[in-house]
Amino acid sequence: MSVLQFGVELYYLVMALVLFFLTLRREPQAAQDHRIAFTLSTVGVVVALLCLTQQGELFFRSYRVDLFSQIFKLALALGLFLVLAISRNLPSIEERNHAEFYLFLTTCTVGMMMLVSAVELLTIYVALELSSYSLYILVPLRRGDDIDVEAGVKYLFFGAVSSCFMLFGLSYIFGATHSTYLSDIMARMPELVASPIGVVGLILAMAGFFFKLSIFPFHFWAPDVYQGGAHQVVTFIATASKAAAVALLIRLAVLGAQYGYHFTQILVFLSIISMTLGNLVAIIQKDFKRMLAYSSIAHAGYVLIGILTLQETGLASSIYYALAYLVMNFTVFMVLTQVAQDGRDLKIAELAGLYHRSPLLSMSLILGIFALAGVPPSIGFTGKLFLFTSAMNQGYFWLVLIGAVNGTLSLYFYLRVVYAAYFVDAKLPPIYLSPPMRALNYALCATILYFGVAPNSIMELARAAVRAVL
Amino acid sequence: MLLSPVVGIAILLCLKEEQRFLIRAVALVAAGISFALSIYTFAGYDKQLGGIQFVEKYPWVEAFGISYFVGVEGMNAPLLLLTGIVIFTGVLTMWELQTRVKEYFIFQLALVTGVFGVFMSYDLFFFFLFYEIAVVPMYVLILVWGSTRRIYAAMKLTLYLMAGSGLIIPGMLLLYSSSGLFTFDMLKLHGVPFSPWIQNIAFVLLFLGFGVLAAVWPFHTWSPVGHVAAPTAVSMLHAGVLMKLGSFAILRVAMYLCPLGFQYWAQFMALLAAIGIVYGVFVGLAQTDLKYVIGYSSVSHMGIVSLGLATGTVDGLNGAVFQMFAHGVMTALFFSAVGFIYDRTHTREIHELGGFSRIMPVASAFFITAALCGAGVPGMASFWAELLVMVAAVKVFPLRGLLAIAALVVGALFALRVVQTTFYNEPNPKFEHFEDVSPFLGLPRMILIGFLVFFGIFPQYMLGLIKTSIVPFIQGL
Repeated sequence: MSVLQFGVELYYLVMALVLFFLTLRREPQAAQDHRIAFTLSTVGVVVALLCLTQQGELFFRSYRVDLFSQIFKLALALGLFLVLAISRNLPSIEERNHAEFYLFLTTCTVGMMMLVSAVELLTIYVALELSSYSLYILVPLRRGDDIDVEAGVKYLFFGAVSSCFMLFGLSYIFGATHSTYLSDIMARMPELVASPIGVVGLILAMAGFFFKLSIFPFHFWAPDVYQGGAHQVVTFIATASKAAAVALLIRLAVLGAQYGYHFTQILVFLSIISMTLGNLVAIIQKDFKRMLAYSSIAHAGYVLIGILTLQETGLASSIYYALAYLVMNFTVFMVLTQVAQDGRDLKIAELAGLYHRSPLLSMSLILGIFALAGVPPSIGFTGKLFLFTSAMNQGYFWLVLIGAVNGTLSLYFYLRVVYAAYFVDAKLPPIYLSPPMRALNYALCATILYFGVAPNSIMELARAAVRAVL
Repeated sequence: MLLSPVVGIAILLCLKEEQRFLIRAVALVAAGISFALSIYTFAGYDKQLGGIQFVEKYPWVEAFGISYFVGVEGMNAPLLLLTGIVIFTGVLTMWELQTRVKEYFIFQLALVTGVFGVFMSYDLFFFFLFYEIAVVPMYVLILVWGSTRRIYAAMKLTLYLMAGSGLIIPGMLLLYSSSGLFTFDMLKLHGVPFSPWIQNIAFVLLFLGFGVLAAVWPFHTWSPVGHVAAPTAVSMLHAGVLMKLGSFAILRVAMYLCPLGFQYWAQFMALLAAIGIVYGVFVGLAQTDLKYVIGYSSVSHMGIVSLGLATGTVDGLNGAVFQMFAHGVMTALFFSAVGFIYDRTHTREIHELGGFSRIMPVASAFFITAALCGAGVPGMASFWAELLVMVAAVKVFPLRGLLAIAALVVGALFALRVVQTTFYNEPNPKFEHFEDVSPFLGLPRMILIGFLVFFGIFPQYMLGLIKTSIVPFIQGL
């Protein structure tokens, strides 16, 4: 049944519809809205899980459902679920806008789900814009001073410009191959090896996703948007949205698999600049979210390492790392939202005394931060080592060396967070965590440790997924 | 052996901070089991059979050819024993700890899990994983329970060691990928004839990377600072065991996998080692803080290990491994004695302590024993180790070897000077009311002395065992 193959997206469309009706109410009922949205997203995860093994093609072959897309759909469903789990208390968004907040998160998720299944250039573009527009609205939703408006405008402009780049690149590809289907393009790509038009077109086409992933030179929005957006929105941007971007980068990058030298050299260059720049600038940050923004730029560079190897294990490592990044970054953001319960921006120094205020949160924080820093036995360490290994297999010695040195650089500012949370005392009241929140904390910690030590199952899944794309 | 600290951590996580006694008991039992098992492997290793025994091997990540592969051979059995001794006595030493007891033991056991793992692993991936696990808890341990300049020391130590890891990763992966086998199994990688230039690059990366942890000059600066700042048992573990990880890794990974690279860089290694020995002795002479004195003497003793490794001969390697063991037990004793004195008097200044042996004769005796051992007095384990290394070194690198011997003589002098001013001057009246070591707290120190003397009198037990793996090792070079 072809309708069932569209099941996950269909489910989230219905969910968006339900939430749309909620927004129409005159009297806001925030608590009820959250309950409904959260329940629906929980069911959504189950639906995505049930659809994991589906395969097929829809809409005149422009839409492919395979293991690759389904894994990312599950990750996105999980991302939405997790973000809604910490949205029970939304102090930074006005109460009458809560329903809209849920609605646009859902439409964004639908957009990204379509994105990871799209195998035709125009479909990709439309799906990308669907998810982007939702985020353009979400970022300035934050209540308070004008910092949110600045963030919103920046995000919109950078997004628009990178979309332009992307469209320009897509037009090159279409012009050179006379097709908008990825499968056709892939078949004709070898003819373009000699001409620069293919390389330029492909790199520009990837610009849209460089923007989402905040890879240099499309990273300028990240610090301001991270700082200016509401915590929950930023969490979504920093986790689910990045995973979707990785998926699409993989889809597009395999087109360049036969290009060899120039194409990969450009990616190597972008990767090195991203991680070095991100890590160096993060060192001087005082605001926690700004620091995380720069760390996300650095992590985008790491993910690119796997993508630019353009072979099975490398791409699988990228998928593993994208999933790992989703979990570990979410863990850190979850701690952030719990500590800043009134929705204010948090300085790193304000984490002081977290150990006394809530030992559980500080444990999650330390694990999340260590995972981001690539300290074993966490998913971050394992993922990073996989990325480096596959890059080394392709002979990128210098890239790995610079990546490894970057790991040391990054440790400095991550340890500052640990230091503030664990060793600086502050006379602040303890933080109360509800039982579901405690369970979430334990689950995240267990995930970070378990898949760090036993990564085989995820890795095999990722490999199977990559085979569907190559 | 690996499992018991992990289980210990799991149990500790479930306990409450208030149940102090229970926490200590669990930690002690976990450490005790490791200790017993390490003695068992040491004694139960069949020397006639040789090779790797007590093997466990499971495939782990198929995509990258990673398997969980641990075993024991003559080379690592003494070091496992050393780890067992130090963790067991370390837990006993920290019995009086009052703040954040539960966390302390969790981190300490985590560290020990890593150390055991490194010594046992034959899979490069797990080797590195455990290596990092052993290094990272140090940051927390020093920061929370440390003393002098702990924030600076903890950050410096972690960044130095992580910078080392930054060199190890490319070196390790270079070997992995250029082997063409897609396996992290060290025994299989050993069989691959890598081209000389790959070996040269990989060896220097690995040597410098691991060398940071082994406190090879000029990358040693984190080590005295770290020793001084760390709490007693952590200093014991850190100087006693962790630094050995570095030199063991140089032996196990760098030399084992890149024999040609080793030959190419051996002169350089010996030079750094000799500078380290001389430098450690002379800087140590100028220190007034007891822990700094020991810290710098560690740098020079670790230089002896590196020098032994650099010779690439049976005697040299034998001595180096033996020295790792002897120095480990000895420094553990040093730090444990100093820690005891510091807990009571809150000072480690040599001049303030003057004449201490009249106040605490037993505590002082522990320190003096360690100092004698450090000076290489016959009858102590390190005498044999240093002798072997020096004999080998003079044969292979005459000038550097003689220099090192001269430095050691000066070193003996300075150990005696420290002992003289600290323990045999006029006693400081401030400290007269302190009681001496109780039998229970003296127990861990007695264990350490016991091992030092036992292997000092019967070195053949140790050397015979080490030789079973060193001889095939040299043939493989």
